[in-house]
Amino acid sequence: MTTPLLELENVSKAYGGVQALAAVSLRIAPGEVVGLVGDNGAGKSTLVKTMAGAIRPDTGRIRFQGRPVELRNPNDAKDLGIQTVYQDLALCDNLDAVQNLFLGRELVGPRLFGGRIRRAQAQQRSREVLRRLRLDSISLSRPVGAMSGGQRQNIAIARSILWKPNLVLLDEPTAALSHTASAQVGRLIRQLAEDGLGVLVVSHDIHQFVVEVTDRVVVLRLGRVVSQFNSKDVSGETIVNAMVGGNEEVNSAR
Amino acid sequence: MSTVQTSVPPTESGRATPPAGRRARIVELLATDLRALPVVAGMLLLVVYFASQSDFFLSSRNLSNLLVQTVVTGTIALGLVFVLLLGEIDLSVAANSGVTSVLMAKLAVESGMNSALALVIAVALGAAIGCVIGFWATRFKVPSFVVTLGVGLVLNGLQLILLPTAGRYSLLGTGLEQIAGTFVTGPAIWVLVLVATAFVFGLRWTTHQRKVQHQIDSSMLRQVVLPTAVTAVAGAITVVVLNANEGVPTPVVIFAALLALASYTLNETRFGLHLYAVGGNADAALRAGVKVNRMKIAAFGIAGALAAIGGIIAASRILGVSVSSGGGIGGGALLLNAIAAAVIGGVSLFGGRGTASAALLGALVIGIVGNGLNLLGVSTDVQLLVTGALLVLAVTVDRTIERMTAASR
Repeated sequence: MTTPLLELENVSKAYGGVQALAAVSLRIAPGEVVGLVGDNGAGKSTLVKTMAGAIRPDTGRIRFQGRPVELRNPNDAKDLGIQTVYQDLALCDNLDAVQNLFLGRELVGPRLFGGRIRRAQAQQRSREVLRRLRLDSISLSRPVGAMSGGQRQNIAIARSILWKPNLVLLDEPTAALSHTASAQVGRLIRQLAEDGLGVLVVSHDIHQFVVEVTDRVVVLRLGRVVSQFNSKDVSGETIVNAMVGGNEEVNSAR
Repeated sequence: MSTVQTSVPPTESGRATPPAGRRARIVELLATDLRALPVVAGMLLLVVYFASQSDFFLSSRNLSNLLVQTVVTGTIALGLVFVLLLGEIDLSVAANSGVTSVLMAKLAVESGMNSALALVIAVALGAAIGCVIGFWATRFKVPSFVVTLGVGLVLNGLQLILLPTAGRYSLLGTGLEQIAGTFVTGPAIWVLVLVATAFVFGLRWTTHQRKVQHQIDSSMLRQVVLPTAVTAVAGAITVVVLNANEGVPTPVVIFAALLALASYTLNETRFGLHLYAVGGNADAALRAGVKVNRMKIAAFGIAGALAAIGGIIAASRILGVSVSSGGGIGGGALLLNAIAAAVIGGVSLFGGRGTASAALLGALVIGIVGNGLNLLGVSTDVQLLVTGALLVLAVTVDRTIERMTAASR
């Protein structure tokens, strides 16, 4: 087994009297797609935010590529190469794909000219990235507000990998998408894993998305990891049962 | 695992690809590259109408006069564009233009200060007022509508305090009356046209070169030749027409320079792009590392500086300042015209959409209507009716195009 990319050990977080995360342990390997599922309030969002550096856990240890790390803020996570795509995508609808991909990290010329944006260079890099992800059909110059939900989701994911991260966290990437668009996002996620990235994806779409796209499924319930499955030998029903508390079998895959 | 998908774009229940056909493409063009087309077409209609009704309308003398009138509204509107792009508004710009020009006059006339220094102080004060507004609105999270409404009234009060008991300062003899009263003509104006053409060529040429270098499609004709030729020809026509009178009025040259600077800032720089980004989705911009609060303070500062410049040109045009400088109490027609100009030119009040040239287009439309109706001897009441109706019409056309593109998603 390779060294895990990210490893959480007994991570806990409480809000007042509510135990959002209770001694959660989780590992994500390079090239692996891990599905994180659970009912509302199971602690999925808290867990993702912990890994993204947006929430500091009360107790527990986090290791990145075998080294203990502290994620005090989102920049700490970004510096390690952990990128997060939140459900709202954080796209500017009035800007085009290139401008969104490079937002806040524009390539600019000398200060003398007021920091003139090097648009052609950004366009070329955007085209390369989109081509590598087989997203050639996305227009570079249309405002993203005029694009479909699937294309917007893909642009948000493409932005997260533009600066060569190690791990991508995706929060509900298919929540608002049609079946075809979800499948397209699923293909993109597989591609990231094939390129050697670790991917963690939170989803409610168990049957058609989680089972199809992930390698491993981690089930959270009331802040605890209650089950882990190998995606290829588990049915959607089994996962749903574990989510709602049907049977307590723990199938430790790795 | 899943099979690899090749280049054919997926159609997700018809949402991914816009409805095929020419109509959708035209609508999309109107919503993007040809956004200014309806306004330009409407403006040409107005010109044709007034030219047919009055022989004097297209005369060099009248056009010169019309342009100087337009520059005051246009300069203030140009500053408003920066604020409107963020989704904010500044209701104090007219009052700002009034109080800063009164201060300039007071310093030059009463204190005997060097006129150029008084002018610089006035513009700096305008910018400072804007920055304070921006700071207040961001620091205390008060809507800019309210902050600027209040600041506008405060500035009106200060203007009255600054004015002498006679209620008026004359700028005659200060040299400041020269700003609006002089013309650029002879070789100088042709050099300026050449500089403008070279500026456009330089921008377009470097853009084209970089695209070629980075293997992005670019057409030499559309990217470089056409824009350069349009600038040269438009500049030459303007000069020839205005030279038949006394030359190009100095305020027109000042406005052209400000417009070029604003266009460059909005289209080419990171600051400009971030203005659009904040107006499109402030939260996303913030998360991407854009310093949203600083952007707001800067935008209000720019609006304040340009308002002061507009006020100074207005004061110079009427050779003095008075209670009615800056549109009078509440900003009056000056404030409403400046906002209307930006909106008629295609700037969205909800942020994220609009161009610098919108200020010119909108101010020209308002200027043409006012000037034309004046020539026809139409009274103020009808002028107000027409200007108001045009504003509503322009925004209706704009929203309709917007809705049609949204529907074609």
